[in-house]
Amino acid sequence: MSQEEISLSPSHHRFQKRGFSCEKAIKYFFASNAGLTIVILVLITIFLLKEGLGFFPGYQRELEVYRIAGLEFVDISRKNLTAQEQLTSVLNRAYYAEINGQAAREMKRSKEASALFNAYSEQTGPTRDLVVNNSQAASDPKSEMLAILKTNFEKQKVKALASLPATPHLEKNERADLIESIRTRAVDSTEDPPLVAALAAELAAAQEKYAVPLQGMRATIDSFSSAGSELSSLVSEMTESVTATKEKIQGADILEKDRKTLLAAAASAKDLAEREKLTSEATASLAEKPDVEGPIQRLMERRADCVKAHQALQKTTGGILAQLPENLRQPDARRLLKVARATWPLFIADLEKTPAAIHAWKYDAPVPLTAAISSFLTGKDWVTGGEWQDFYGILPLAAGSLMIALVALIIAIPSGIGAAVYVNQFASPREQGIIKPVIEFIQAIPSVVLGFIGILVFGTLLRDISTWDSLQWIPGFPIEERLNIFTAGCLLALMSIPTIFSLSEDAINNVPSAYAEASEALGASRFQTTFRVVVPAAFSGVLAAVLLGLGRVIGETMVVLLVAGNRIKIPDFSSGLSTFFQPCHTLTGIIAQELGEVPLGSVHYRALFVVGILLFAIVLAINATAHHFVNKMKH
Amino acid sequence: MFDPKKLIRKGLPKGHFKDAAVRSLLAGVTYLVVIIAALLFGKIIVDGAPVLFKAEAPFVDFEFLTAKNETLHVFDDALGNRHQLPAAAYSAYLDKHPGEGIFNEQTFSYSGGGIAGPIVGTALLTIGSMILALFFGICAAIYLSEYAKQSPFIHAVRLAILNLAGIPSIVFGLFGFSVFVLAVPIITSTPADRSLLTFPLFFGNYFVSFQGWNSSLMAGCATLACMILPVIITASEESLRAVPQGFRDASLAMGATRWQTIRKCVLPFSLPGILTSSLLAITRVAGETAPIMFTAAVAAKDDLPWQGLKSPFDLLSSQVQALPYHIYTLAARIPSSEYTQRAQYGSVFVFLVLVAFLSAGSMILRSKLRAKLKW
Amino acid sequence: MKIITTLFATAAMLSMASAQTLSIKGSDTLGAKLVPQLAEGFKAAGNGGVKFEIAAEGSTTAFPALANGTAQIGMSSRKVKDDERTFCRTKGIYLKEHPICHDMIVVIVNKNSPLAKLTKDQIAKVFTGQIKDWSEIGGTPGPISIYTRNTSSGTYKDWQKLAMGGRDYPSSSLKMAGNEQIAQEVAKNKNGIGYVGLAYSKTAGTKAITVDGVEPVAANAKKYAYARECYLYAPEKPSAEAEAFMKYVESDAGQNIVRKVGFIPVKDL
Repeated sequence: MSQEEISLSPSHHRFQKRGFSCEKAIKYFFASNAGLTIVILVLITIFLLKEGLGFFPGYQRELEVYRIAGLEFVDISRKNLTAQEQLTSVLNRAYYAEINGQAAREMKRSKEASALFNAYSEQTGPTRDLVVNNSQAASDPKSEMLAILKTNFEKQKVKALASLPATPHLEKNERADLIESIRTRAVDSTEDPPLVAALAAELAAAQEKYAVPLQGMRATIDSFSSAGSELSSLVSEMTESVTATKEKIQGADILEKDRKTLLAAAASAKDLAEREKLTSEATASLAEKPDVEGPIQRLMERRADCVKAHQALQKTTGGILAQLPENLRQPDARRLLKVARATWPLFIADLEKTPAAIHAWKYDAPVPLTAAISSFLTGKDWVTGGEWQDFYGILPLAAGSLMIALVALIIAIPSGIGAAVYVNQFASPREQGIIKPVIEFIQAIPSVVLGFIGILVFGTLLRDISTWDSLQWIPGFPIEERLNIFTAGCLLALMSIPTIFSLSEDAINNVPSAYAEASEALGASRFQTTFRVVVPAAFSGVLAAVLLGLGRVIGETMVVLLVAGNRIKIPDFSSGLSTFFQPCHTLTGIIAQELGEVPLGSVHYRALFVVGILLFAIVLAINATAHHFVNKMKH
Repeated sequence: MFDPKKLIRKGLPKGHFKDAAVRSLLAGVTYLVVIIAALLFGKIIVDGAPVLFKAEAPFVDFEFLTAKNETLHVFDDALGNRHQLPAAAYSAYLDKHPGEGIFNEQTFSYSGGGIAGPIVGTALLTIGSMILALFFGICAAIYLSEYAKQSPFIHAVRLAILNLAGIPSIVFGLFGFSVFVLAVPIITSTPADRSLLTFPLFFGNYFVSFQGWNSSLMAGCATLACMILPVIITASEESLRAVPQGFRDASLAMGATRWQTIRKCVLPFSLPGILTSSLLAITRVAGETAPIMFTAAVAAKDDLPWQGLKSPFDLLSSQVQALPYHIYTLAARIPSSEYTQRAQYGSVFVFLVLVAFLSAGSMILRSKLRAKLKW
Repeated sequence: MKIITTLFATAAMLSMASAQTLSIKGSDTLGAKLVPQLAEGFKAAGNGGVKFEIAAEGSTTAFPALANGTAQIGMSSRKVKDDERTFCRTKGIYLKEHPICHDMIVVIVNKNSPLAKLTKDQIAKVFTGQIKDWSEIGGTPGPISIYTRNTSSGTYKDWQKLAMGGRDYPSSSLKMAGNEQIAQEVAKNKNGIGYVGLAYSKTAGTKAITVDGVEPVAANAKKYAYARECYLYAPEKPSAEAEAFMKYVESDAGQNIVRKVGFIPVKDL
């Protein structure tokens, strides 16, 4: 404080003088607390970037090794091999669909009989085990105890026999016989009841019978399947050699890193002996530069073989299509055959292009940093922890997040906004008193509880419902996986409804009452006022509500981790609406699932931080847009 | 030429049925949401309440709340009676009945005993993070409502608050992991290699090492506090602003300093409001799983956090079980069968009751407050 | 100044003193059932004072935790990799390997599936995605749902080596957090197939598959194609509690628990 200032203030004014310096300090203290929010935001950004940015160079190196070691070269051939295997599988499925379609009756009967028996053994299992275990000599059976156990077993048996599943395709007397044979069965018998065995044999016989006219098709498929064997053995041979090279290169990388860490550890070691030990270890672990040229040259020599194998495959494959039967009788089989025919030209075209690709491939072509970035942003595979090569492609995860958000919003937007309009415009105060707290309370439910409900109750319920005969017209029913996009979407919808509801309700509430009054004064009905005046006036607020709901859905972790099914694959959109019943994985889920398990500082670890950055950016963008709309509403 | 009678509507207005249909559609949608929520709560209550309550006095099964979490052993004795015993009781049973065989034994991890550990852990995490968040949050709110004038700094602070509020919880998990678990400074005699920066202190053999607090109660509390900070600031500022300007003017006119005014005339009146809205923040802190997965939570820990501690600092630097993480474990790691239902639905029920109490409390207090504090 | 110094010194002392909890991290195969029960047995055997923390997120998590000192014992369903060992070494931890049991990776299908036997070749083709429908291997027609462990699991990697010839899992596989979860999904999905540790192969609703004619039961461990050894890893100079626990695990009492939980004791092979 300068001399001048002191002289200005009256010296006897104790209060003010003391207040001056102290006040400032207090003010700065509070200001610094307010600044804390900025610090946190900056720290979040810095640390995400710090861990995340290292990913791209690391991934670039991995891709470089992938190329230098020749893995990429092998993948060219392997892609065709996989395509051939897939086609074989499709043909096989068509073949078996034809047979099983014809043997459908036998199959159903056999299935029902064994299901009945399984249901029985499931229920009586524990008590039966008790009797069997106790009657073995080793456990020193006491007769009165065994008697009790046996009565228990009989009781359980009667109960189980009273609640057996229906068997619509078995004759009445067959069912009676089966139940009788189960009833009279020895406790320790491990054989199937006669009818179950007989029906299984019947099924096998039927399958054999229907296979006879399809022998030609079988032979064709077999010849197609074996056509790939030459390429297959070549690929597995090359696989071994390139994996060895890759391991060598990676080993050298690791050794080099180790040497540095050991040297660093030695430099900071206090104990002299320890230091020497570490230094000597470091020098010992000096890696000789791995020989890359040799193996890759040997690999390049195999190019001719590769091309030859491809040509052979192409030659055999060309004729296969003509040898397949024109048409099959069962609808499933027909569909599969059509799929095979449709993909066939693509397969052939790929085969034709391969020799050129093989020759054009260069092991020393540089991998630019942009390749790593674009491979991350547009990669269709997220493969980690595998034996062959790790790929970090964001698309499957982003697609999963988007699909789930789509389902959630399709459900939540109409119900959230509808509820808001209803509560604000039409509901009586008493109704409001019920609806509002309930919806607010939904907001308070922790997401992990919803995930819990999803995995234990809702998923199973959905699958059970999907097997109802009256619902089979819905695409995708009956569903295969109980944990899927739709299950997760429904639960997330429940989470976002409160957000959308309360913010929309606020927005509608904030529409000046003059609007409504003016509208009614002009003779508009209540509905016209609501839907033509009030809701349009609140539109940007409602839009903001929807966007904030979307932000919440995209950022939600626990529900999708538990319920989305964790299949890292871009959903197969060709299956139409049933795409929504496929499992998927999400941006948030992958972080939660994998962060705990990756070594610190590895490429995989950094990849998860990049996913985090992406998530951060997406959600911030959504929120910024939402607040833009909120501000628009205010003015 | 113009019949005025035509202007008067007769009977039902035009489009009445359409209106009624739209109205009932909206009502249907609204009540559907309410019914689904009711069903959900109903399911949890029906399956979970029997775990916690019993027919005879005192009606509450405190054992589930106070017992430690153990493995559940399910087995038949030689007479075919089924036993379900947590590990400690199981080994007692074996000691008591030596030589008698047991059959069909099944074990279920995390399903025996009670959930004392997770409850205590969640309580510690909540208390810790709320203390931090309330302190910094209220201070920041005081600045925003009492001192701040329009300035770039304030603009930046408001933007930061807005953005922080929208960040997904898993990103807070990543942040907490990379900052509090791996990077914050700690005083130690043996700095770890991964330390970002180490410098020696002026005494002893100690270093300040930026190596983080590991996965610990501290790290979890700090992460959660960061996550909840914007909520607290917004709520506190609202409460502070609700105090009429006249209070401040009167106090300042009496010659009180700004700080005195805040302390005596603003804070006391806004504190109830702040605490009420922070109750809602508690439900969020207590319910979050993603931020504590990597920063504080552990699936199995067989002592309560304060048992076997050498110093109070141990409490802060040890990992804890937490109720939401425990529910995650119960949902994802163990099968659902008749024997695990008790643990699963019981934990969820307890958790939901807790959350319901907090949010209902917050709602009631808020409406009471509104009725009481009318200036 | 003196006060501040003392304060700092105390704080520093406090931050160091937390050694008597026994923190065990790693494999889910071991950590979900076996090790908690070993811990409970250990405490029942007169070591009530020891405090356990068990986190079972996958074998890969064991070694970083050991290296950082956040775990005193690591559980692993596979052998430690060279780079992991070196990593620990650079942090001053020499790892010592303790085999504690043998395990068999058992293929399970839904109880209602008519299949009870498969060949190794068929299993490889199913898990690499070459066979997509049950009808192709004689089951009830339906698309195969493959349930695998997540990538940090030792079982995930062991299976890739033992059964799939090093090929990648198809992207259609569903990654589950633990053995129990795989068993549960397979029990609920009539088209499901998955693999679990031996201790989890008796889950209700599932059926263990006989591979190349060898039934997956403990007695066949030598003949079975997908058998492996499981380990605990501890520093060469473990803490007193860790040492006592390792002793207990290797003792007869410990090995009996191993047998009871469903693994195969080391000495039985």
